[in-house]
Amino acid sequence: MSRIIDRGLEEQSVLIVRMGELTYETLALSIHGYLEGKSVQEQVRELSDMLLSMADKVEDQTFQLIARFQPVATDLRTIKSYMKIGNDFARYGRYALDISFINDQLHGLKECETWTRDYIDEMSEKVLSMVKISIDALKKQDIILAKTISETERSVDKMYFDYLHKLIKGEQANSKCVLSSALMTRYLERIADHAVYICESIVYIVTGEKVNLG
Amino acid sequence: MTSTINSQEKVVDTNMKMQSIDLNAWFGPKQALKDVNINIKANSVTAIIGPSGCGKSTFIRCLNRMHELTPNAKMTGQILLDGQNIYDKQVDSVQIRRRVGMVFQKPNPFPTMSIYDNVAAGLKLTGTKKGKNLDEVVKRSLEQATLWDEVKDELKKPGTSISGGQQQRLCIARAIALQPEVILMDEPCSALDPIATAKIERLVVELKRNYTVAIVTHNMQQASRVSDFTAFMYLGSLIEFGPTRDIFESPKNPLTEKYITGEFG
Repeated sequence: MSRIIDRGLEEQSVLIVRMGELTYETLALSIHGYLEGKSVQEQVRELSDMLLSMADKVEDQTFQLIARFQPVATDLRTIKSYMKIGNDFARYGRYALDISFINDQLHGLKECETWTRDYIDEMSEKVLSMVKISIDALKKQDIILAKTISETERSVDKMYFDYLHKLIKGEQANSKCVLSSALMTRYLERIADHAVYICESIVYIVTGEKVNLG
Repeated sequence: MTSTINSQEKVVDTNMKMQSIDLNAWFGPKQALKDVNINIKANSVTAIIGPSGCGKSTFIRCLNRMHELTPNAKMTGQILLDGQNIYDKQVDSVQIRRRVGMVFQKPNPFPTMSIYDNVAAGLKLTGTKKGKNLDEVVKRSLEQATLWDEVKDELKKPGTSISGGQQQRLCIARAIALQPEVILMDEPCSALDPIATAKIERLVVELKRNYTVAIVTHNMQQASRVSDFTAFMYLGSLIEFGPTRDIFESPKNPLTEKYITGEFG
Protein backbone atom coordinates (compact mmCIF):
# COMPACT_ATOMS: atom_id res chain seq x y z
CA MET A 1 0.00 0.00 0.00
CA SER A 2 1.42 3.36 -0.97
CA ARG A 3 1.84 6.06 1.65
CA ILE A 4 -0.09 9.32 1.45
CA ILE A 5 3.15 11.25 1.00
CA ASP A 6 3.96 9.21 -2.14
CA ARG A 7 1.55 11.12 -4.36
CA GLY A 8 3.17 14.44 -3.44
CA LEU A 9 6.64 13.00 -3.99
CA GLU A 10 5.61 11.68 -7.39
CA GLU A 11 4.20 15.07 -8.43
CA GLN A 12 7.42 16.77 -7.37
CA SER A 13 9.52 14.21 -9.21
CA VAL A 14 7.52 14.65 -12.44
CA LEU A 15 7.92 18.42 -12.20
CA ILE A 16 11.66 18.30 -11.55
CA VAL A 17 12.26 15.89 -14.47
CA ARG A 18 10.20 18.15 -16.74
CA MET A 19 12.32 21.09 -15.55
CA GLY A 20 15.44 19.13 -16.41
CA GLU A 21 14.26 18.50 -19.96
CA LEU A 22 13.26 22.13 -20.41
CA THR A 23 16.58 23.26 -19.00
CA TYR A 24 18.55 21.28 -21.55
CA GLU A 25 16.37 22.63 -24.33
CA THR A 26 16.90 26.21 -23.10
CA LEU A 27 20.65 25.92 -22.74
CA ALA A 28 21.12 24.13 -26.06
CA LEU A 29 19.05 26.79 -27.82
CA SER A 30 21.00 29.62 -26.24
CA ILE A 31 24.50 28.12 -26.63
CA HIS A 32 23.97 27.01 -30.23
CA GLY A 33 22.40 30.40 -30.99
CA TYR A 34 25.55 32.05 -29.64
CA LEU A 35 27.90 29.75 -31.55
CA GLU A 36 25.98 30.30 -34.78
CA GLY A 37 25.41 34.02 -34.18
CA LYS A 38 21.63 33.57 -34.26
CA SER A 39 19.38 35.78 -32.09
CA VAL A 40 17.25 33.62 -29.78
CA GLN A 41 16.85 36.00 -26.86
CA GLU A 42 13.04 36.22 -26.90
CA GLN A 43 12.57 32.44 -26.99
CA VAL A 44 15.18 31.95 -24.29
CA ARG A 45 13.59 34.61 -22.09
CA GLU A 46 10.26 32.82 -22.31
CA LEU A 47 11.81 29.48 -21.41
CA SER A 48 13.91 30.99 -18.64
CA ASP A 49 10.84 32.64 -17.08
CA MET A 50 9.04 29.32 -17.30
CA LEU A 51 11.93 27.65 -15.43
CA LEU A 52 11.80 30.32 -12.73
CA SER A 53 8.11 29.80 -12.15
CA MET A 54 8.60 26.02 -12.10
CA ALA A 55 11.32 26.46 -9.45
CA ASP A 56 8.81 28.48 -7.39
CA LYS A 57 6.35 25.63 -7.75
CA VAL A 58 8.92 23.10 -6.58
CA GLU A 59 9.58 25.32 -3.55
CA ASP A 60 5.84 25.54 -2.78
CA GLN A 61 5.51 21.78 -3.06
CA THR A 62 8.50 21.35 -0.76
CA PHE A 63 6.96 23.51 1.94
CA GLN A 64 3.63 21.73 1.61
CA LEU A 65 5.21 18.30 1.87
CA ILE A 66 7.24 19.31 4.91
CA ALA A 67 4.30 20.99 6.64
CA ARG A 68 1.82 18.21 5.96
CA PHE A 69 3.89 15.04 6.15
CA GLN A 70 7.03 15.84 8.20
CA PRO A 71 9.19 13.76 5.86
CA VAL A 72 12.32 12.00 7.11
CA ALA A 73 15.20 9.94 5.71
CA THR A 74 15.13 9.43 1.92
CA ASP A 75 11.86 11.38 1.63
CA LEU A 76 13.39 14.37 3.41
CA ARG A 77 16.62 14.21 1.44
CA THR A 78 14.70 13.99 -1.84
CA ILE A 79 12.40 16.91 -1.07
CA LYS A 80 15.22 19.11 0.20
CA SER A 81 17.39 18.26 -2.80
CA TYR A 82 14.62 18.77 -5.35
CA MET A 83 14.19 22.30 -4.07
CA LYS A 84 17.93 22.88 -4.48
CA ILE A 85 17.98 21.27 -7.93
CA GLY A 86 14.96 23.36 -8.93
CA ASN A 87 17.02 26.45 -8.12
CA ASP A 88 20.00 25.04 -10.06
CA PHE A 89 17.74 24.56 -13.09
CA ALA A 90 16.43 28.10 -12.73
CA ARG A 91 20.05 29.32 -12.63
CA TYR A 92 20.74 27.37 -15.84
CA GLY A 93 17.86 29.31 -17.38
CA ARG A 94 19.28 32.67 -16.28
CA TYR A 95 22.72 31.82 -17.69
CA ALA A 96 21.05 30.82 -20.96
CA LEU A 97 19.39 34.23 -21.02
CA ASP A 98 22.71 35.97 -20.25
CA ILE A 99 24.34 34.09 -23.13
CA SER A 100 21.60 35.08 -25.56
CA PHE A 101 21.99 38.69 -24.34
CA ILE A 102 25.75 38.86 -25.03
CA ASN A 103 25.13 37.23 -28.39
CA ASP A 104 22.78 40.07 -29.34
CA GLN A 105 24.89 42.87 -27.80
CA LEU A 106 28.38 41.72 -28.81
CA HIS A 107 27.58 39.74 -31.97
CA GLY A 108 28.51 36.41 -30.43
CA LEU A 109 31.85 35.27 -31.77
CA LYS A 110 31.63 37.07 -35.12
CA GLU A 111 34.55 39.36 -34.28
CA CYS A 112 36.73 36.48 -33.03
CA GLU A 113 39.42 34.51 -34.76
CA THR A 114 38.77 30.92 -35.74
CA TRP A 115 40.79 29.40 -32.90
CA THR A 116 38.61 31.19 -30.35
CA ARG A 117 35.45 29.95 -32.03
CA ASP A 118 36.80 26.40 -32.02
CA TYR A 119 37.88 26.72 -28.40
CA ILE A 120 34.49 27.90 -27.18
CA ASP A 121 32.73 25.39 -29.38
CA GLU A 122 34.65 22.58 -27.67
CA MET A 123 34.02 24.02 -24.20
CA SER A 124 30.31 24.40 -24.97
CA GLU A 125 29.96 20.79 -26.02
CA LYS A 126 31.68 19.63 -22.84
CA VAL A 127 29.36 21.77 -20.71
CA LEU A 128 26.24 20.59 -22.54
CA SER A 129 27.39 17.00 -22.00
CA MET A 130 27.72 17.76 -18.28
CA VAL A 131 24.21 19.19 -18.19
CA LYS A 132 22.96 16.06 -19.92
CA ILE A 133 24.74 13.84 -17.40
CA SER A 134 23.17 15.77 -14.52
CA ILE A 135 19.67 15.43 -15.98
CA ASP A 136 20.03 11.75 -16.94
CA ALA A 137 21.50 10.88 -13.54
CA LEU A 138 18.59 12.67 -11.89
CA LYS A 139 15.99 10.81 -13.96
CA LYS A 140 17.58 7.44 -13.21
CA GLN A 141 18.83 8.32 -9.70
CA ASP A 142 22.10 6.92 -11.02
CA ILE A 143 24.98 7.76 -8.69
CA ILE A 144 27.59 6.03 -10.84
CA LEU A 145 26.67 8.28 -13.76
CA ALA A 146 26.50 11.30 -11.42
CA LYS A 147 30.04 10.67 -10.20
CA THR A 148 31.41 10.63 -13.78
CA ILE A 149 30.87 14.37 -13.94
CA SER A 150 34.05 15.22 -12.01
CA GLU A 151 36.40 14.52 -14.88
CA THR A 152 34.65 16.80 -17.37
CA GLU A 153 34.29 19.44 -14.66
CA ARG A 154 38.07 19.52 -14.19
CA SER A 155 38.56 19.77 -17.92
CA VAL A 156 36.07 22.66 -18.23
CA ASP A 157 37.70 24.50 -15.32
CA LYS A 158 41.09 24.11 -16.96
CA MET A 159 39.77 25.37 -20.29
CA TYR A 160 38.27 28.41 -18.57
CA PHE A 161 41.48 29.42 -16.78
CA ASP A 162 43.64 28.63 -19.82
CA TYR A 163 41.44 30.88 -21.91
CA LEU A 164 41.66 33.72 -19.37
CA HIS A 165 45.47 33.43 -19.52
CA LYS A 166 45.35 33.66 -23.30
CA LEU A 167 43.28 36.84 -23.03
CA ILE A 168 45.62 38.30 -20.40
CA LYS A 169 48.56 37.58 -22.67
CA GLY A 170 46.74 39.50 -25.46
CA GLU A 171 46.23 36.55 -27.78
CA GLN A 172 42.88 37.98 -28.77
CA ALA A 173 42.97 41.59 -29.91
CA ASN A 174 39.39 42.49 -30.79
CA SER A 175 37.78 44.07 -27.73
CA LYS A 176 34.22 42.94 -28.55
CA CYS A 177 35.51 39.40 -28.96
CA VAL A 178 37.48 39.64 -25.70
CA LEU A 179 34.41 40.78 -23.78
CA SER A 180 32.00 38.35 -25.46
CA SER A 181 34.25 35.30 -25.12
CA ALA A 182 35.33 36.11 -21.56
CA LEU A 183 31.69 36.37 -20.45
CA MET A 184 30.72 33.26 -22.42
CA THR A 185 33.48 31.11 -20.92
CA ARG A 186 32.55 32.41 -17.48
CA TYR A 187 28.89 31.48 -17.96
CA LEU A 188 29.88 28.06 -19.27
CA GLU A 189 32.10 27.48 -16.26
CA ARG A 190 29.24 28.46 -13.91
CA ILE A 191 26.78 26.19 -15.75
CA ALA A 192 29.27 23.34 -15.32
CA ASP A 193 29.40 24.09 -11.58
CA HIS A 194 25.61 23.80 -11.31
CA ALA A 195 25.72 20.47 -13.16
CA VAL A 196 28.16 19.31 -10.48
CA TYR A 197 25.88 20.56 -7.67
CA ILE A 198 23.00 18.60 -9.18
CA CYS A 199 25.10 15.43 -9.31
CA GLU A 200 26.15 15.98 -5.67
CA SER A 201 22.47 16.29 -4.75
CA ILE A 202 21.71 13.01 -6.51
CA VAL A 203 24.41 11.21 -4.50
CA TYR A 204 22.97 12.78 -1.33
CA ILE A 205 19.42 11.69 -2.17
CA VAL A 206 20.43 8.11 -2.83
CA THR A 207 23.08 7.55 -0.14
CA GLY A 208 22.75 10.38 2.39
CA GLU A 209 26.43 11.17 1.78
CA LYS A 210 27.47 14.75 1.21
CA VAL A 211 30.15 14.51 -1.48
CA ASN A 212 32.21 17.06 -3.32
CA LEU A 213 32.39 16.19 -7.00
CA GLY A 214 33.93 19.47 -8.10
CA MET B 1 30.07 8.65 21.03
CA THR B 2 30.44 5.96 18.43
CA SER B 3 27.24 5.35 16.58
CA THR B 4 27.12 1.85 15.28
CA ILE B 5 24.23 0.34 13.43
CA ASN B 6 23.42 -2.75 15.40
CA SER B 7 25.07 -2.31 18.74
CA GLN B 8 27.16 0.15 20.62
CA GLU B 9 30.52 -0.21 22.27
CA LYS B 10 30.20 -2.70 25.10
CA VAL B 11 33.05 -1.28 27.12
CA VAL B 12 32.38 0.64 30.30
CA ASP B 13 32.45 4.30 29.38
CA THR B 14 32.66 6.75 32.27
CA ASN B 15 31.32 9.53 30.07
CA MET B 16 28.03 7.70 29.91
CA LYS B 17 25.37 8.16 32.55
CA MET B 18 23.84 4.79 31.82
CA GLN B 19 24.79 1.80 29.72
CA SER B 20 23.05 -1.43 28.91
CA ILE B 21 25.45 -4.23 28.16
CA ASP B 22 24.26 -7.44 26.49
CA LEU B 23 20.83 -6.88 27.97
CA ASN B 24 18.34 -9.71 27.53
CA ALA B 25 14.90 -9.78 29.11
CA TRP B 26 12.05 -12.27 29.22
CA PHE B 27 8.43 -12.45 30.29
CA GLY B 28 8.12 -16.11 31.17
CA PRO B 29 9.38 -17.99 28.09
CA LYS B 30 8.96 -15.01 25.75
CA GLN B 31 12.14 -13.09 25.08
CA ALA B 32 11.47 -9.34 24.97
CA LEU B 33 15.02 -8.01 24.63
CA LYS B 34 17.96 -9.52 22.77
CA ASP B 35 21.53 -8.42 23.49
CA VAL B 36 20.71 -4.74 23.68
CA ASN B 37 23.72 -2.43 24.05
CA ILE B 38 22.85 1.23 24.43
CA ASN B 39 24.88 4.08 25.89
CA ILE B 40 22.99 6.99 27.40
CA LYS B 41 24.97 10.18 27.64
CA ALA B 42 24.60 12.45 30.67
CA ASN B 43 22.46 15.58 30.25
CA SER B 44 21.04 14.44 26.97
CA VAL B 45 17.68 13.21 25.78
CA THR B 46 17.67 9.75 24.26
CA ALA B 47 14.56 8.67 22.40
CA ILE B 48 13.66 5.03 22.01
CA ILE B 49 11.43 4.34 19.04
CA GLY B 50 10.06 1.24 17.38
CA PRO B 51 6.78 -0.51 16.63
CA SER B 52 4.52 -1.87 19.38
CA GLY B 53 6.00 -4.89 21.08
CA CYS B 54 9.58 -4.13 20.03
CA GLY B 55 10.80 -3.93 23.64
CA LYS B 56 11.04 -0.15 24.16
CA SER B 57 9.11 -0.09 27.43
CA THR B 58 10.76 -3.27 28.65
CA PHE B 59 14.13 -1.66 27.97
CA ILE B 60 13.49 1.43 30.06
CA ARG B 61 11.87 -0.63 32.80
CA CYS B 62 15.15 -2.53 33.04
CA LEU B 63 16.95 0.78 33.53
CA ASN B 64 15.44 1.27 36.98
CA ARG B 65 14.77 -2.32 37.96
CA MET B 66 11.04 -2.10 37.43
CA HIS B 67 11.13 -5.07 35.06
CA GLU B 68 11.93 -7.40 37.96
CA LEU B 69 8.65 -6.40 39.66
CA THR B 70 6.66 -8.17 36.95
CA PRO B 71 5.86 -11.81 37.86
CA ASN B 72 7.88 -14.33 35.79
CA ALA B 73 10.07 -11.59 34.35
CA LYS B 74 13.83 -12.09 34.23
CA MET B 75 16.83 -10.45 32.67
CA THR B 76 20.51 -11.03 32.01
CA GLY B 77 23.30 -8.63 31.20
CA GLN B 78 24.24 -5.41 32.92
CA ILE B 79 22.80 -1.97 33.43
CA LEU B 80 25.44 0.51 34.51
CA LEU B 81 24.62 3.73 36.28
CA ASP B 82 27.74 5.89 36.50
CA GLY B 83 29.71 2.72 35.80
CA GLN B 84 28.12 0.62 38.54
CA ASN B 85 25.93 -2.37 37.72
CA ILE B 86 22.53 -1.63 39.26
CA TYR B 87 21.79 -5.35 39.38
CA ASP B 88 24.71 -6.13 41.69
CA LYS B 89 23.58 -7.99 44.81
CA GLN B 90 24.54 -5.25 47.23
CA VAL B 91 22.63 -2.57 45.30
CA ASP B 92 19.30 -1.51 46.82
CA SER B 93 16.60 -1.46 44.12
CA VAL B 94 14.62 1.22 45.98
CA GLN B 95 17.64 3.50 45.91
CA ILE B 96 18.00 2.86 42.19
CA ARG B 97 14.40 3.81 41.54
CA ARG B 98 15.02 6.96 43.47
CA ARG B 99 18.04 7.82 41.32
CA VAL B 100 16.30 6.76 38.13
CA GLY B 101 12.74 8.10 38.15
CA MET B 102 9.91 7.10 35.84
CA VAL B 103 7.01 8.97 34.29
CA PHE B 104 4.29 6.80 32.76
CA GLN B 105 2.06 6.91 29.72
CA LYS B 106 -1.10 7.92 31.56
CA PRO B 107 -0.82 10.63 34.20
CA ASN B 108 -1.22 8.81 37.49
CA PRO B 109 -1.34 11.28 40.36
CA PHE B 110 -2.30 9.67 43.68
CA PRO B 111 -6.08 10.14 43.54
CA THR B 112 -6.67 10.80 47.21
CA MET B 113 -3.84 13.31 47.60
CA SER B 114 -3.66 17.05 47.01
CA ILE B 115 -1.38 18.60 44.41
CA TYR B 116 1.07 19.45 47.20
CA ASP B 117 1.00 15.97 48.69
CA ASN B 118 1.47 14.32 45.31
CA VAL B 119 4.78 16.10 44.92
CA ALA B 120 5.74 15.63 48.57
CA ALA B 121 4.69 11.98 48.79
CA GLY B 122 8.05 10.43 47.98
CA LEU B 123 9.92 12.72 50.34
CA LYS B 124 7.45 12.13 53.16
CA LEU B 125 7.74 8.38 52.68
CA THR B 126 11.49 8.50 52.90
CA GLY B 127 11.32 11.07 55.72
CA THR B 128 14.03 13.13 54.07
CA LYS B 129 12.33 16.54 54.09
CA LYS B 130 9.95 18.22 56.53
CA GLY B 131 8.23 21.58 57.12
CA LYS B 132 9.74 24.54 55.34
CA ASN B 133 12.29 22.40 53.56
CA LEU B 134 9.49 20.30 52.14
CA ASP B 135 7.63 23.42 50.97
CA GLU B 136 10.74 24.59 49.17
CA VAL B 137 11.26 21.27 47.41
CA VAL B 138 7.60 21.11 46.36
CA LYS B 139 7.80 24.65 44.97
CA ARG B 140 11.09 24.01 43.18
CA SER B 141 9.84 20.75 41.70
CA LEU B 142 6.63 22.33 40.43
CA GLU B 143 8.66 25.20 39.00
CA GLN B 144 10.99 22.82 37.18
CA ALA B 145 7.97 21.00 35.83
CA THR B 146 6.66 24.41 34.64
CA LEU B 147 3.49 23.91 36.68
CA TRP B 148 3.99 26.22 39.67
CA ASP B 149 2.41 29.32 38.12
CA GLU B 150 -0.70 27.37 37.19
CA VAL B 151 -1.30 25.66 40.56
CA LYS B 152 0.39 27.81 43.21
CA ASP B 153 -2.99 29.07 44.53
CA GLU B 154 -4.62 25.68 44.63
CA LEU B 155 -2.04 23.37 46.10
CA LYS B 156 -4.63 21.79 48.42
CA LYS B 157 -6.91 20.74 45.57
CA PRO B 158 -6.86 17.07 44.59
CA GLY B 159 -4.14 16.13 42.11
CA THR B 160 -6.80 14.66 39.87
CA SER B 161 -8.74 17.95 39.64
CA ILE B 162 -6.35 19.52 37.11
CA SER B 163 -6.20 18.86 33.34
CA GLY B 164 -4.51 15.78 31.87
CA GLY B 165 -1.49 17.78 30.70
CA GLN B 166 -1.15 19.41 34.12
CA GLN B 167 -1.47 16.00 35.79
CA GLN B 168 1.38 14.69 33.65
CA ARG B 169 3.55 17.65 34.63
CA LEU B 170 2.52 17.00 38.24
CA CYS B 171 3.85 13.45 37.84
CA ILE B 172 7.08 14.86 36.44
CA ALA B 173 7.27 17.21 39.47
CA ARG B 174 6.73 14.20 41.72
CA ALA B 175 9.63 12.42 40.03
CA ILE B 176 11.85 15.51 40.18
CA ALA B 177 11.14 16.04 43.89
CA LEU B 178 13.22 12.99 44.71
CA GLN B 179 16.13 14.60 42.87
CA PRO B 180 16.77 11.73 40.52
CA GLU B 181 19.74 11.71 38.16
CA VAL B 182 17.88 10.08 35.30
CA ILE B 183 14.25 10.49 34.28
CA LEU B 184 12.64 7.76 32.20
CA MET B 185 9.49 8.62 30.31
CA ASP B 186 7.25 5.98 28.80
CA GLU B 187 5.16 7.66 26.10
CA PRO B 188 4.43 10.61 28.37
CA CYS B 189 2.31 12.47 25.81
CA SER B 190 0.25 9.69 24.31
CA ALA B 191 -2.83 10.63 26.34
CA LEU B 192 -2.43 14.39 25.89
CA ASP B 193 -3.75 16.98 23.43
CA PRO B 194 -1.33 18.92 21.18
CA ILE B 195 -1.06 21.93 23.50
CA ALA B 196 -0.30 19.81 26.54
CA THR B 197 2.08 17.72 24.41
CA ALA B 198 3.98 20.84 23.33
CA LYS B 199 4.39 21.86 26.99
CA ILE B 200 5.75 18.45 27.95
CA GLU B 201 8.13 18.50 24.98
CA ARG B 202 9.47 21.91 25.99
CA LEU B 203 9.84 20.61 29.51
CA VAL B 204 11.78 17.54 28.34
CA VAL B 205 14.27 19.76 26.54
CA GLU B 206 14.57 21.95 29.66
CA LEU B 207 15.03 18.98 31.96
CA LYS B 208 18.20 17.78 30.28
CA ARG B 209 20.05 20.75 31.78
CA ASN B 210 19.81 19.05 35.16
CA TYR B 211 18.92 15.46 34.38
CA THR B 212 19.54 12.71 31.87
CA VAL B 213 16.35 11.78 30.05
CA ALA B 214 15.32 8.66 28.17
CA ILE B 215 11.95 8.82 26.47
CA VAL B 216 9.94 6.10 24.76
CA THR B 217 7.69 7.48 22.07
CA HIS B 218 5.58 6.31 19.17
CA ASN B 219 5.60 9.79 17.73
CA MET B 220 8.52 10.09 15.31
CA GLN B 221 8.27 13.85 15.08
CA GLN B 222 8.35 14.05 18.85
CA ALA B 223 11.53 11.98 18.93
CA SER B 224 13.11 14.22 16.31
CA ARG B 225 12.05 17.39 18.13
CA VAL B 226 13.15 16.57 21.65
CA SER B 227 15.99 14.08 21.53
CA ASP B 228 19.73 14.29 20.99
CA PHE B 229 20.12 10.57 20.33
CA THR B 230 17.69 8.02 18.98
CA ALA B 231 17.59 4.26 19.34
CA PHE B 232 15.44 2.25 16.95
CA MET B 233 14.34 -1.15 18.24
CA TYR B 234 12.63 -3.96 16.41
CA LEU B 235 11.55 -7.38 17.69
CA GLY B 236 13.56 -6.94 20.88
CA SER B 237 16.82 -5.95 19.17
CA LEU B 238 18.51 -2.61 18.83
CA ILE B 239 18.62 -1.99 15.09
CA GLU B 240 20.26 1.41 14.98
CA PHE B 241 21.48 4.04 17.40
CA GLY B 242 22.95 7.45 16.69
CA PRO B 243 22.56 11.21 16.83
CA THR B 244 18.90 12.01 16.15
CA ARG B 245 19.73 14.10 13.10
CA ASP B 246 21.57 11.19 11.49
CA ILE B 247 18.80 8.72 12.24
CA PHE B 248 16.11 10.94 10.74
CA GLU B 249 18.13 12.30 7.83
CA SER B 250 20.30 9.40 6.76
CA PRO B 251 19.53 6.16 8.60
CA LYS B 252 22.04 3.44 7.82
CA ASN B 253 19.78 0.45 8.26
CA PRO B 254 16.99 -0.12 5.70
CA LEU B 255 14.70 -1.28 8.52
CA THR B 256 15.07 2.07 10.27
CA GLU B 257 14.36 3.87 7.00
CA LYS B 258 11.23 1.80 6.44
CA TYR B 259 9.95 2.35 9.95
CA ILE B 260 10.50 6.09 10.18
CA THR B 261 9.09 6.75 6.71
CA GLY B 262 5.96 4.81 7.60
CA GLU B 263 6.43 1.83 5.32
CA PHE B 264 5.74 -0.49 8.21
CA GLY B 265 4.95 -0.36 11.89
